[in-house]
Amino acid sequence: MALLEVHGLSKSFGGVTAIADLDFGVPEGQVYSVIGPNGAGKTTLFNMLCGIYSPDEGSIRFLDREIIGRLPHQVAELGVSRTFQNLQMFFNMSVLDNVKVGCHLRTRGRIWSNALRLPGTRREEKQAERWAREAILFCGLDDYLESHADALPYGVLKRLEIARALAASPRLLLMDEPAAGLNDTETKQMRSLIRQISGTGITVLLVEHNMGLVMDVSDRILVIDYGSRLAEGPPEAIQNDPRVIEAYLGGEIEYAV
Amino acid sequence: MSHLRGFYLLVAAALLLPLIFPDNYYVTVVGVTAALHAILAVSLNLLMGYAGQISLGHAGFFGIGAYASAILTTRYGWNPWPAMLFGLVLTGVVAFTLGRPILRLKGHYLAMATLGLGIIINILLVQTGSLTGGPDGLGGIPTLSLFGWAVDSDLRWYTVIVSVLLAVVWLVLNIINSRSGRALRALHGSEVAAEMMGINTTTTKTGVFVLAALIASLAGSLFAHQQAFVSPDSFSFFFSIELVTMVVLGGMASTYGAIMGAIILTFLPELLVVFEDFEVLIFGAILMSMMIFLPQGLFVGMQKLWRRVATEESRRGAA
Amino acid sequence: MFDQILQFILTGITVGATYALVALGFAIIYNASDVVNFSQGEFVMLGAMSTIALSAGNGLPLWLAAACSVAMVICVGLMLQRFAIAPARGASVVTTIIITIGASIFLRGLALLLWGKDIFGMPHFSGEVPLRIGEATLLPQNLWVMGGASVLVLGVHYFFNHTTHGKAILACSCNRTAAHLVGINVGMMMLIAYGLSALLGSLAGILVAPITFTSYDAGVMLGLKGFSAAILGGMGNPMGAVAGGLLLGLIESLAAGLISSGYKDAIGFVILLLVLFFRPSGLFGKASAERV
Ligand SMILES: Nc1ncnc2c1ncn2[C@@H]1O[C@H](COP(=O)(O)OP(=O)(O)OP(=O)(O)O)[C@@H](O)[C@H]1O
Ligand SMILES: [Mg+2]
Repeated sequence: MALLEVHGLSKSFGGVTAIADLDFGVPEGQVYSVIGPNGAGKTTLFNMLCGIYSPDEGSIRFLDREIIGRLPHQVAELGVSRTFQNLQMFFNMSVLDNVKVGCHLRTRGRIWSNALRLPGTRREEKQAERWAREAILFCGLDDYLESHADALPYGVLKRLEIARALAASPRLLLMDEPAAGLNDTETKQMRSLIRQISGTGITVLLVEHNMGLVMDVSDRILVIDYGSRLAEGPPEAIQNDPRVIEAYLGGEIEYAV
Repeated sequence: MSHLRGFYLLVAAALLLPLIFPDNYYVTVVGVTAALHAILAVSLNLLMGYAGQISLGHAGFFGIGAYASAILTTRYGWNPWPAMLFGLVLTGVVAFTLGRPILRLKGHYLAMATLGLGIIINILLVQTGSLTGGPDGLGGIPTLSLFGWAVDSDLRWYTVIVSVLLAVVWLVLNIINSRSGRALRALHGSEVAAEMMGINTTTTKTGVFVLAALIASLAGSLFAHQQAFVSPDSFSFFFSIELVTMVVLGGMASTYGAIMGAIILTFLPELLVVFEDFEVLIFGAILMSMMIFLPQGLFVGMQKLWRRVATEESRRGAA
Repeated sequence: MFDQILQFILTGITVGATYALVALGFAIIYNASDVVNFSQGEFVMLGAMSTIALSAGNGLPLWLAAACSVAMVICVGLMLQRFAIAPARGASVVTTIIITIGASIFLRGLALLLWGKDIFGMPHFSGEVPLRIGEATLLPQNLWVMGGASVLVLGVHYFFNHTTHGKAILACSCNRTAAHLVGINVGMMMLIAYGLSALLGSLAGILVAPITFTSYDAGVMLGLKGFSAAILGGMGNPMGAVAGGLLLGLIESLAAGLISSGYKDAIGFVILLLVLFFRPSGLFGKASAERV
């Protein structure tokens, strides 16, 4: 039984078919990658997996519960967290506060208890601060702890999004192009970060255009084109699949990082 | 606690002012109005500055509170305290039922809808004359009394309203620096990301709208008892705009900024009276130029400037 | 009953035509610069007040006074753009709202200083002998308002769809940087947009002043109505704003006649709220989905 099971998933926008009759399953504890050319429907797939878009057809089961029909915050409650292709940072907050928002679901304090600073709130605040610091440290952001998010460089923000998602302590982490726009050093850091995340037992669903990174960290890879499945399997199989080589990159794949 | 450092300064200032200037018109009369405005600005800032939801109709909730107290105490002989409570309940119900559909709107549409709501409330106050006294207003509102201590002098009103202000500021600061406050700010930062972190954005928006409305309603009740008279003019569209201006002038998403904006906008007309016919003109010019030259607001702008100076200093010190 | 309703409709169209012009001004500035110009109503007031001052006070013929005052109001619009909006580029939506509110207070203060608090009337353009349509009556001035508004709306429509300058302004509204890169003088286009809005506002004021009278604070309510109308139609769509204006005028006139004149503004706003609850981007606006 896979952690995430997708069956017959379809979604179109007006005349554009973004996802067409897609099936796949993500086994628990693995790094599972989804690749495909620009506009193949990867982000659309993510948006459906976390309740932002509702699919036209199909089913998405996570931990054997149906995702479709739930709002994003309800999906998050089930243990799904994500990062975004276009940064969705809380630019009006500090790094620490950004990550503390990630702890939202692990704390319970209600507004009146917060307003009066009841002992429960004080305790929770300390706990949230500990969790947030852990996640920040894990992502190597300790230098930026007190910085304001709007003052940080792009590469740091990419990791900050991951720290925020990790602070929620998810079962499944969706990462949409975490290495896009990073330089070589940062990409290497990102690669080891993904490995470390997977090492803690979190299942990772990864969308990424950097083939070197994908081949390196993935346990399995799903290739989609025009929203439908082209191939699926372990990295070696995908690398040598003639359909993938031809359809995806026009016969030319660069595997170096 | 660190997030309350500024608050202690505020408490000290509030205590010292009437001691240094007893019976001063600008402290116990204009000061009380400024404090009342500050309560309203702080509550609006919670909604606008922190949660990022603009409202051009805040005066409407101020009006509901004021008129609930005024009508129930004068026409039905209620004790002021249950009347105040009734006002709060009524405001809560109105804000809750209308908050949900209104807060689905964004940007200018949200601005228009809240503006419309404020105007509708104001028109109701004017038109239901048999209850509200219509455009002429309603007078003879009794003053408050707490366990036999009647609030019957300027200094006592100062004590009451400034205490309420301080309490509101304390609560708001606590909220901002906690789980629920971070949820509000996250909403402003990115709604999708907030949802993905497990924040129910719909209920959070409605919640902060109701909370801000409740604080405004409380301020309204106090206002009614303090003035002993209410008329629809005090709750017009213009006053809503003035409240927004206070928040923006001080600097959005800063509680102290909102207080500062309220103080400036309350005292400015007092000071501009000397210009007589030029008053309105100068007021408009000041408002425009402050926003052009300090678009982030006075308090936030000054804070940034101060931080820059401080880092320069430390850099020079280190060299 | 039927004649009465016809009367309300005729009045509604006249009022609606004025709203439509103000709303069109709102929409033009909004499309060009993303600013909701809360001083739009003051253009209307200044147009009417200065025409009256020039014709009654200084003895100019009405048409000349009107022409001079339109020119003056256009200058005010240009100055607003140049000295208040342009320096604050990049400021948040709320900040620009406060700036235009400051401008509106400033202009009102100026009018108060120049002309005091009195209410002024203007002579009708072509007499006050009412025309009869069945049992309903129509003043020649109503025809002036409807006709003038139609000409202006058609002109604006032509300007945006068939002239390079008009298209350039639309390009700025889509993407300022791209517009600049293809060689459009963005600053100039902004000035044209504000000038055009001022022109529409002042003409609306002059056309309607003989019917409604005017005073230094007459712009406030008109500005609000114009904003409501623009939102009702859908902010991004100038012709939607015109439709919104007419609709709002009709609703108010019917509400005043059939229900109660005291509640007519409230009814207008209630309907506006209901529309927004069901169509969050106005009647003719496109729903914009945020992409992540
Ligand atoms: N909200 C939307 N409205 C309309 N069309 C959309 C929307 N979101 C995505 N699309 C369309 O769906 C298709 C798939 O887009 P998607 O963003 O999922 O691609 P992607 O695989 O993530 O591409 P990239 O690698 O460039 O990020 C595209 O044709 C896109 O234009
Ligand atoms: Mg994508």
